Amino acid sequence: MDTVFLMNSMWVMLGAVLVILMIGGFILLETGSTRMKNAGHIAGKTILTFSIGSILFWAVGFGLIFGKGNSLIGFSHFFYSGYDIDSLSLSGAVFFLFQLAFAGISLTIAFGGFAERAKLSAYLVFAVLFSIIVYPPIAHWIWGGGWLAEHGKQDFAGSTVVHLTGAMAALAATIILKPRIGKYNKDGSANNLAGHNQVFTALSVLLLWVGWFGFNAGSTLSVDKGFFGFVAVNTNLAAAAGTVAAMIISWIVLGKADVPMMLNGALAGLVAITASCAFVETWAAVVIGFIAGILVFYSIRFFEKMKIDDPIAALSVHGAAGVWGTLSTGFFATKELATVGQPGLFYGGGLHQLGVQALGVVVCGAFAFIVSFILLSIMKAAMNGLRVTEEEEIIGLDMSEHGSYGYPELVKSEQKLHA
Amino acid sequence: MSRSSYTEIQKFRFNQMDEAAIDPLSLNRLHDEIFQRVITQAMGQIAKDYGPPPCPFSFFVTGSAGRMEQSIWSDQDHGIIFHDDGHEEQFYFLQLGREISTGLCQVGYPYCHGGVMSSNPLWCKSSSQWQKQLSKWMNEADWEATRYLLIFLDARNLFGEQTFVQQLKKHVYHTANQSLLMPNLLANTMYYKKGVNVLGKLLTETHGPYAGSLNIKEIGLFPYVNAVRLIAIKDHIVEASTLSRLEAMSETSFPTIDKKGYIQQFQKLLNYRLLFGDQTNYTSSHYLPIKQLTKQQTKEVKDIIKDGAALYHAVRKSLEKDVSNGIK
Repeated sequence: MDTVFLMNSMWVMLGAVLVILMIGGFILLETGSTRMKNAGHIAGKTILTFSIGSILFWAVGFGLIFGKGNSLIGFSHFFYSGYDIDSLSLSGAVFFLFQLAFAGISLTIAFGGFAERAKLSAYLVFAVLFSIIVYPPIAHWIWGGGWLAEHGKQDFAGSTVVHLTGAMAALAATIILKPRIGKYNKDGSANNLAGHNQVFTALSVLLLWVGWFGFNAGSTLSVDKGFFGFVAVNTNLAAAAGTVAAMIISWIVLGKADVPMMLNGALAGLVAITASCAFVETWAAVVIGFIAGILVFYSIRFFEKMKIDDPIAALSVHGAAGVWGTLSTGFFATKELATVGQPGLFYGGGLHQLGVQALGVVVCGAFAFIVSFILLSIMKAAMNGLRVTEEEEIIGLDMSEHGSYGYPELVKSEQKLHA
Repeated sequence: MSRSSYTEIQKFRFNQMDEAAIDPLSLNRLHDEIFQRVITQAMGQIAKDYGPPPCPFSFFVTGSAGRMEQSIWSDQDHGIIFHDDGHEEQFYFLQLGREISTGLCQVGYPYCHGGVMSSNPLWCKSSSQWQKQLSKWMNEADWEATRYLLIFLDARNLFGEQTFVQQLKKHVYHTANQSLLMPNLLANTMYYKKGVNVLGKLLTETHGPYAGSLNIKEIGLFPYVNAVRLIAIKDHIVEASTLSRLEAMSETSFPTIDKKGYIQQFQKLLNYRLLFGDQTNYTSSHYLPIKQLTKQQTKEVKDIIKDGAALYHAVRKSLEKDVSNGIK
């Protein structure tokens, strides 16, 4: 058998495993950034929704994205059975699993906007709808040979497809669900509903950071010339620059090196470099990550001011940084590296690529937001609301949705104190 | 019977407050007067049950009351020093301390969470026991002991023998080995909340009910209070209020410090807190709503804060130099 085929398959399989491990990163990120009484629920539902997403991706998602169809949607290869795909020089099943993992990440990001107040049933229904109606069209447009691919849009590993799509669904959800109890005071000022475990959050960032090597470097889909190494270097540099930038900006503005902000900076750097990691030079990766770290700081403050309660900063980390990352290739893509589309503004490509990137961001962002908003509104009407009752929110979703606390001893002793 | 009389004092407090709360000095004089009325009332009550005081004593206030920096709302921080050592005296003055604490609470001064009250044996002792305790605190020199020592140094006699507090402070100053004591005191008061960022913007609260307001207690007052207390220790000053400590400091011990300037700035700071703080409760009174200030006033507040930090750093630097030169 062809060695290159085997090596490609091995490499992308490793990528798929790393990306699926990122689900673990999201579990730690979301639980660490929220309160103890919801920890078990958040951890459990993340595994559950990934499972639902997996089955839907197998049944229809893959076919809608990569099947034969038109420039708007694919329509074949449903219920994928493990065959190889002619145009690919790697195992079809490995490619399928890798793509499934991406769809799962996008779905998990979307649920960031549900945190600490949505009913479990809302997660289950939206997991199905997102996996069929929201994610596949955008993935098809950019990666499945759809109209944006023909247009030359650069999104190497999914700043738009995965992150912006997830973030826009999260935005629709946060708007419809409204802020958590106690987030805002009567005079409009915001309270800090601090997450219960910064160590979890920091570990989540490390897990996601490492997982991102699968996400970005794995997206080469081949071991050809060892190019994945270059992609991984860019990924690491952007994450590092994002961390440092967020630390500096929070120290300058707030007078303190805020730990959650620093961690969000790392993630913003990773999200931003996702689109551009294969198209830009290493110095540009540092610049892209650094700008993402600053951007995420102001974005979090902006959303809070707009009274959009985003418990785990999904809108800023995946949305704002996803937009910036997608636009960044319009500035920094080099002639040699731009295997898709044109070089960016700083490499003699003029404004052309920037325009293509901007169009992609606007169309995909608007589609994900509008469709999610409509779906969630229908769900809200049909399901008698998406949100748990006030009482359930106060006792915590661990108890209201699942009947047991993630930290039984601690939460119960705390409730006794407040009784 | 005692309850109804404390109610009278509470009414007095209520009636006088508006008039007194126009400037920090008259406000603190009113607090003193209320305390003195409560003490007199409590002494009458105790005299009925246990007779007159068995020996001379001093009732002192400490914390913000000691430093004459109370705002309208204040909790109680106080202690008793009595002359003769003995079980009966100890019992008597603890009863008195308990009655005073109860009375103060009824009049509107909540109990001190940290237990700095003359109803607590730790803060109600004979002169000789106080001396021993202060020496122990100096020798132990751990975080808690140093904290207590600093609290005691803010003591101000409010009732009884004026000299008792002063004698004990002198005892501290004369027996302390400053090169050993100072590093502990510095370590205990090293933290202060930053008030201005590197871009020169005021660091107001970002979250919570006081978002947009400045925590004037931690950001504004503390650097002045802590720095000036250290000056007082070095210069053996027995006064407790920050302003009188500044007045009393020698010109030579900190030649770089413009004390007149700092006196003015600190007075302004107390005025800002009183005039702009939301006087609904103790916590709210310590937040300065920056949006209500004019541009000029905001700049003034910023300068006061910057000067406080500068004063703190100057004192700290000077004392660290002294320590490394091995002063006694």
